[in-house]
Amino acid sequence: MNQHEDADLPQGPYKLRLFITGSTPRSTRAIENMRRICAENLEGRFDLEVVDVYQNPEATKELQIIATPTLVKILPEPLRRIIGDLSDRERVLAGLDLAWIGEDDKAHP
Amino acid sequence: MNRHPEFAGIDHSQLVELQDRLREAEETLEAIRNGDVDAVVVGGPSGQQVYTLENADRPYRVLIEQMQEGAVTLSDEGLMLYCNHRFATLVGVCRETLIGESIERFLLSTDIFAFRHLMASSRGLGRSAEFTLLGSNGLVPVNVSIADLKVDEQMPNVLCGVITDLTHSRERSHELAAANMRLATEIDERRRVEDSLQLALDAADMGHWDLDLMSDTVTRSTRYDQIFGYADTVKAWGLPMMLSQFVPEDREAVREEFLSAQSSGSVEIEKRIHRLSDGAIRWVQIKGRTFYLNDRAIRISGVISDITERRLVEEQLRQSQKMEAIGQLTGGIAHDFNNLLMVIGGSIDMLDQRIEKDEKTVRYLAAARHGVTRGATLNQQLLAFSRRQDLRAEAICVEDLLDTFGNLLDRAVGEAVTVHIEKASDKWYCRTDPHQLETAILNLAINARDAMPQGGALTLKTAIRKLDARAAAANGANPGDYVVVSLTDTGIGMTADVINRVFEPFFTTKEVGKGTGLGLSQVYGFARQSGGFVAIESHLGVGTTVLIHLPRTTRPEASKATAAPSVEVKGKGIVLVVEDDNDVRAVARSLLENLGYSVLEAENGSDAMKLIDGGERVDLVFTDVIMPGEMNGIDLVYEMKAKHAAIPVLLTSGYTAQRIAMGELAQGLQLLRKPYSQVDLSLAVQTVMNDPT
Repeated sequence: MNQHEDADLPQGPYKLRLFITGSTPRSTRAIENMRRICAENLEGRFDLEVVDVYQNPEATKELQIIATPTLVKILPEPLRRIIGDLSDRERVLAGLDLAWIGEDDKAHP
Repeated sequence: MNRHPEFAGIDHSQLVELQDRLREAEETLEAIRNGDVDAVVVGGPSGQQVYTLENADRPYRVLIEQMQEGAVTLSDEGLMLYCNHRFATLVGVCRETLIGESIERFLLSTDIFAFRHLMASSRGLGRSAEFTLLGSNGLVPVNVSIADLKVDEQMPNVLCGVITDLTHSRERSHELAAANMRLATEIDERRRVEDSLQLALDAADMGHWDLDLMSDTVTRSTRYDQIFGYADTVKAWGLPMMLSQFVPEDREAVREEFLSAQSSGSVEIEKRIHRLSDGAIRWVQIKGRTFYLNDRAIRISGVISDITERRLVEEQLRQSQKMEAIGQLTGGIAHDFNNLLMVIGGSIDMLDQRIEKDEKTVRYLAAARHGVTRGATLNQQLLAFSRRQDLRAEAICVEDLLDTFGNLLDRAVGEAVTVHIEKASDKWYCRTDPHQLETAILNLAINARDAMPQGGALTLKTAIRKLDARAAAANGANPGDYVVVSLTDTGIGMTADVINRVFEPFFTTKEVGKGTGLGLSQVYGFARQSGGFVAIESHLGVGTTVLIHLPRTTRPEASKATAAPSVEVKGKGIVLVVEDDNDVRAVARSLLENLGYSVLEAENGSDAMKLIDGGERVDLVFTDVIMPGEMNGIDLVYEMKAKHAAIPVLLTSGYTAQRIAMGELAQGLQLLRKPYSQVDLSLAVQTVMNDPT
């Protein structure tokens, strides 16, 4: 099932927020993975904020974060949360509605 | 897809949305279940709480263990709940022992009160203070910063502290302070050196300059600007501007000097500048050294002084040294010349007595005698210049002589020139030889006449002038009052070159045969011998003033009138003639024999003494003063005085001023000036033989 088969791929700016917990290995991996994905797929059209829930626990409330690390795609809609260290690239791209590029990448590794 | 009846009303897009959310929730749950998260966020009444899993704070522990500051957590009472490795090292106690200990155990007792105050004050904020820690290797200065470690409402009050070892920073501070101190001392020292340098420069009346070759700027001291006559301070200028201040003739030479200074390493010049303030040409001396950086000349720096006065004095010194040297030479020539005249004159006297005289012979003899007289007069002028003539000085009032001079001048200058005599109202006395003064004025008048071929005016006047030490030194005279006799003409004037040489004997601007070149030499020599000097002011096309300065004297002395008989007196006796010049000796012998004396001859003083010591009878010793060999005339007189005081002595010389050099010994001694006639000789011999002193 691919509900985005017929839809136009989003071209507008991406507003992303990554919630982490200090300098844990997982949080560190999540930051690194996110940076790489953005650089490869969203160059020049993304706005990424990294929020350390230790420093700013209240920031979790608005986006209903229940665990970290969690990446939230705020724009374009719909709002989407992706939990974990973001090492599953396919899942991340699917969550960001960028799945076709991933398929493209698979075809030409 | 079969739908639950409950969802019958839901459209497709809503369904997709719901499916996505469900998947998201499932993923979240699975992540938590699999341990793929670090922390869980739980909302509560007191805000969002972050629950970390067991390994989440490990990086911070590592960080704290690794850091170079000591870190502790403390209870309210100061018990250590945790301390890092660094703190344990600082105090030199193992951590297991430290936990549960009071931190105050490691503080100086005098610090404890202050530490408690720090612990208690302004809760919630970070705060810090410096203490002394009892370290493993002695006392350690530390900074302690304290903050409340508020993690949880339920947790007991815990404080965290960071302890920074200040030993190195203190050492650095001390080093810095010491370096600062050294620097301050150096600056002081330098300032002192600069001050004393400035003082020295001021004392030497020197300016300072510094030419930066990189930027071509010359920076100068105030004195530099004064020397160049700058009223306004121009900040800095380049070498071309500096060069432009020199007179055009010197500019290129100065430029080349500065250029070559870059390789030679130093500069030293004496050149002329145009002083801006009054346009005067001044001599400046510049001395400097070149400074190098990596073998490249970067700066030339040095001093400058105005040496105009010095050069003036040096110039005058050179001039007077030159005149002195010429004087020596001239005196020597005059001496020999007098001997020649003596031979000629004496021979004529003898011829006169021996030959038969007709009218022509008488005329020839008279002409020859006249020639000898003129030669003797010329010689007197030479001697006057060389200051070796006899000066018959007496205190005279120039005013009294002006009328006589007036007649003299009228005759000397001719009808085309008008003579003005300006008499001063006061009578000033000066000590000089009136006859020489007369000759001097006559000489000047003749020069004035020749300077005014188309006629003009000649003014003779007297004035008084006071010379201070400086003005006197510049003229080689003593300070004091001078009577100035000046002669001013309205003639062609002289150039500076001519003025410089005008006193030299035989220097003349007149045509060959017109002048002897001795006139001004006589004036110069006469003034010097009188203790005065001569100054000349001259402007081309305007005229010349010659000022004879004679030292003023207060008390006039009665002048002695000496009437000289002019008839020869014959005598008898044995005269010993001591004279090195064979011709002169022969003439002297003949003249004496003519007068009736017997004559013995000696070529020098030693021979004369041998003769006398040998027992020869001698009634009079007639000796020349200047003779070569071990014993001159003066030595002979000494010997005579010692051994044969009874024998009278008559001296003769062409160098008559020698009498002065003989000092006390000369008192009462008669000196016959060469050339002398038979009459002169007869009178002198008579005087000495009749009145042996």
